[in-house]
Amino acid sequence: MADFIQLFVNGLALGSVYALAAIGFVIVYSATGVVNFAAGQFVMFGTFAGVAMLANAGLPWPVGYAAALLAMAAFGALFFAIVYLPLRTSPVVTVIIGTVAVGIVMQNAALLGFGSWPFRLASPLEGVTIDIAGAAITAHAAMVVVVTGLLVGLIWLLFYRTALGIGMRAVAQDAEAARLMGLNVNLLLALSWILAAVLAGIAGLLLGPMWFADVNMGDPIALKAFAATIIGGFGSLPGAIAGGLFVGLTELLGASYLSSAYKDLIAFVVMILFLLVRPQGVFGERIQDRG
Amino acid sequence: MRRYDSLIIAAAIVVLGGLLSLVLADYRLRLLNVSVISAIAVIGFNFAFGLAGLISLGHAAFVGLGAYTLAILTTALGWSPWLAIPVAILVTTVFAGMIGYPLLRLRGHYLALATLGLNVSFTIVVTNWITLTGGTNGISGIPELRLGGFAFNDERRFLWLGLVLLALCAAFAITLQRSRHGRAMMAVRDDETAARMTGIDVTRVKITALCLSAAFAALSGTLFAAHVRFVAPEDFNYAHSIIYLAMLIVGGEGAVAGAVIGAALLTFLPEWLRFLGDAYLAFFGLMLLAILVFLPTGLVGLTGRLRRLGWGAKVERTP
Amino acid sequence: MTLLQATAISKRFGGLMALSEVDFTVAPGEFVAVIGPNGAGKSTFLNVLTGLTLPSAGNVQFDGRDITRAPTHGRIRAGLGRTFQHGRLFSRLSVLENVMTGAAIRTDRSESQLREASLGMLDRMGLADEAKRPIDSLSYGQRRMVELCRALACGPRVLLLDEPAAGLNSGEVELLMARLIALRAEHELAVVLIEHNMGMVMRLAERILVLNFGCRIAEGTPAKVQSDPAVLSAYLGEGYNNARD
Repeated sequence: MADFIQLFVNGLALGSVYALAAIGFVIVYSATGVVNFAAGQFVMFGTFAGVAMLANAGLPWPVGYAAALLAMAAFGALFFAIVYLPLRTSPVVTVIIGTVAVGIVMQNAALLGFGSWPFRLASPLEGVTIDIAGAAITAHAAMVVVVTGLLVGLIWLLFYRTALGIGMRAVAQDAEAARLMGLNVNLLLALSWILAAVLAGIAGLLLGPMWFADVNMGDPIALKAFAATIIGGFGSLPGAIAGGLFVGLTELLGASYLSSAYKDLIAFVVMILFLLVRPQGVFGERIQDRG
Repeated sequence: MRRYDSLIIAAAIVVLGGLLSLVLADYRLRLLNVSVISAIAVIGFNFAFGLAGLISLGHAAFVGLGAYTLAILTTALGWSPWLAIPVAILVTTVFAGMIGYPLLRLRGHYLALATLGLNVSFTIVVTNWITLTGGTNGISGIPELRLGGFAFNDERRFLWLGLVLLALCAAFAITLQRSRHGRAMMAVRDDETAARMTGIDVTRVKITALCLSAAFAALSGTLFAAHVRFVAPEDFNYAHSIIYLAMLIVGGEGAVAGAVIGAALLTFLPEWLRFLGDAYLAFFGLMLLAILVFLPTGLVGLTGRLRRLGWGAKVERTP
Repeated sequence: MTLLQATAISKRFGGLMALSEVDFTVAPGEFVAVIGPNGAGKSTFLNVLTGLTLPSAGNVQFDGRDITRAPTHGRIRAGLGRTFQHGRLFSRLSVLENVMTGAAIRTDRSESQLREASLGMLDRMGLADEAKRPIDSLSYGQRRMVELCRALACGPRVLLLDEPAAGLNSGEVELLMARLIALRAEHELAVVLIEHNMGMVMRLAERILVLNFGCRIAEGTPAKVQSDPAVLSAYLGEGYNNARD
C-alpha cells in the first residue's frame, strides 16, 4: 500500500508536468491553429533556463525562478514574431514540418550552450520528505501537484473571469469577428504564445529536479504531451489535464505493475486507440472542424 | 520528351554514380551507399507524402521493419538474403496495408501524431523484445549479398548493386507517377471531394500510396541491413523519419529526382559542413525552415520556377 | 422510365431541416432545373444525390439500383457526374491531366487512349489550346469549362451542374449554353441544373423543381412554374432580402 501511494503521488507529479506541457500546447493550438511539434523543446528550454539562473548564475531560487520564467516569456514573444508570423498562412503540412525544424534548432542550440552532459537541477525543497500512511513522498512531488492545481485554477480564472482571457478565447473562436469587435488580435495571439511558453517553463522547472536536465529531454516530453492531448481531446483544456495525469500515472504504475520495458508503450497504444476509435478524445473538438 | 524521363533519370543515376564509384575514396563511397539506400526510402515516401499528401512521421518504422525482417530471417533462420528481401518487402507492405485501413481515416496533424506514435512504438518494441531483436545490442552477423562467386562485400561493389536498384526504383516510380495511378494520388491530395467526384476510390488510393511507400522503405531497409550487416533500434527511430521528410522537402516533394537529390545532399551535407561541428543540426533545422518558407517546392522546384518565368514571358508576347 | 429517382429525401442538420420529403426523378436525356432562393437546400440535395451527405431519411435509386448509401466514387462509376459551385480542379495537374483523371474511370483504356479521349473532349469544348497549361494560369471561366470537361470525361448518364454560370460573363454563359445543347444532342445525357440565372434555366430546362426551406413548393414546365403563386412569393421574398443586403 505504501508503495502504491508513493507511485501514485509520483505519477500525479509527473502527470502534472505533462498536463502543463499539454495545456501550453492546447492554448497555442486553440488560439492559432498551430500544432506545435516543438512543444517538448519549450519544456526543455524551461529546465535549462532554470539551470542557467539557479546553477550557473547562482541566483537564490525565488529570483532565479522568476528570471527563468521571464526569459521563457521573452522566448514566447520571439517565437511568435520569427516563427509563427512567417508561417501563419502556410498549409498545415508546412506548419507541422516548420515547428519540427524549429524544435531541431532549439534542441541543438541548447546542446551548443550547455553540452550533452546532463545537469542536476535542485529543488527548493531538496531532501524534504512527507510521510503519508507509511509512504515517503518527496516534498517536491507534492509541491508539483499543488503548484499545478493552483495554475489550473489561475488559468481558469484568466480565461473565464478576466477581459484579457475572454478576449483570447474570442480570438481562438473567430479571429475575424474578434478583429471587427476592436480586439487587438495580434497582441492576443502573441499573448497565447507567451502564456504557452511560460507554462512550458514552469513544467520544465518542476521537471528538472525529477529528471536530469538533459538537452534531449524535449522529445519524450513532447510525445507524452501529444499522447495526453489526443487522449484528453485535441484543443480541450480539461482534456489536457486529464490526459496528462493519465499518461503520468500509467507510466509510473505501468512500469511497476506491468512492465518497466513497455511502460512508454501503454500511453502510445492508448493514444493510437483513441485516434482510431474516438479521435475527438474524452473532451475534445469535433474533428471535422480542423484537419 | 517527358515519355523518356524515367529512362533518362535511371541512366543518369547509373552513369553518374558509376563514374563516382571509380574516383571516390572508400569513405566517400560509404556515404554514397548511404545516399543510395536513403534515396530508395525517400522515393517511396514521395508516394505517400509528395503525391497523396499523407503527413507521415513514421516512415523509418517501415524501413526498420524491412531491415529487421531481413536480419531475423537471415541470422536466426539462416535464409538466403535474396529470399529474405522479397519476404521482408511483403511483410512490411502487408503491415502497412493493415494499419492503413484504420489509420488513413485520420488527416493532417492527427495522422502526423498517429504515425509518430507508431514509430515510437516500433522503437520501444524492437528495443525490448530482446529474444527476437537483441534489444539495444541489435542483430549482427547479417550475411553479405553475393551473386554466384561475386560478393557485394566492399563499398564499391555494393554501390554498383545499389545504383542499379535505385535506377530501377526511380524509373518505376516515375512511370507510376505519370500514370493514372499517380494522377489519382495527386488528385486525392489536391481535393479529396473532387477526386471522389471523378470516380476515384480515395481510401484505396491512400492505402495504395502507403503500401507503395512501405514497400520501397522495406527494400531500403533490407539494403541497409545488407550493407552495414548490423541493425539496431536507433537506426530507425522517428528522428530518421524526420530526416526522410527533410530529404524530400529539400529535394522537392512530388518529384522522384527531388527525392534522389535530397537524399544525396542531406547525406553529404554533414561532411561538407563538418567545420560547423555541433552546430550542424541547428543549421540543418534553420535550413529546413528557410526552404519551407522561401522554396516550398524544393531544389527541383527551382527549375520549374525558372521554366514558368520563361513561359509567363511568352504569354505576354502573344496577348 | 426514370434513370435517377430520389424518394422522400429528408436531411436534418441538428435542429435545422435542410430537406424535407423531397421527391425527384430524372429520365434519360431529360433536362431538369432545380431552383430556389439561397439556403433552399439545393446544394444539400446535390450532396445527397452524389453521396457527399447521407440523407436522414428517404432513398436514392439510379438505374434501378438503390444507391442511398453507396460511396461517391461508386455512383460516379455507375454514371452520375457533377461539377461544383466554385469549380474544383486538381491544382498540381495540367488541364489535360485533370481531364485524364476523369477519363481514367474506364480502366480498360491505355495511357495513350486516355490522352486521346481527353484531348478530344477538350477540343469539343474549345479548350484544345490550353491542354498543357497549369491550372493556376487559367481564367475563372476556363476553369469551370475544364471542370465540366473532366466530369464529361467520366461518361456520365446524368450530369449534375451546381451553378455552372456563376461568375461567368454573358459571353461565356452563351457559350456554355450552346455547348450544353450540343452535348445533349450528341449523347444520351440527362442534365440536372442548379442555377440562379433564370434566363438560362428558362431556355434550357424542360422541367423545373422549385425548393424553398428544404421543401418542394412547385414542379413542372417553365411556363407553369413561372406562374405558380408559391414560387412568386418565395422569389419576391428573396428579392426583398437582396434589396436589404
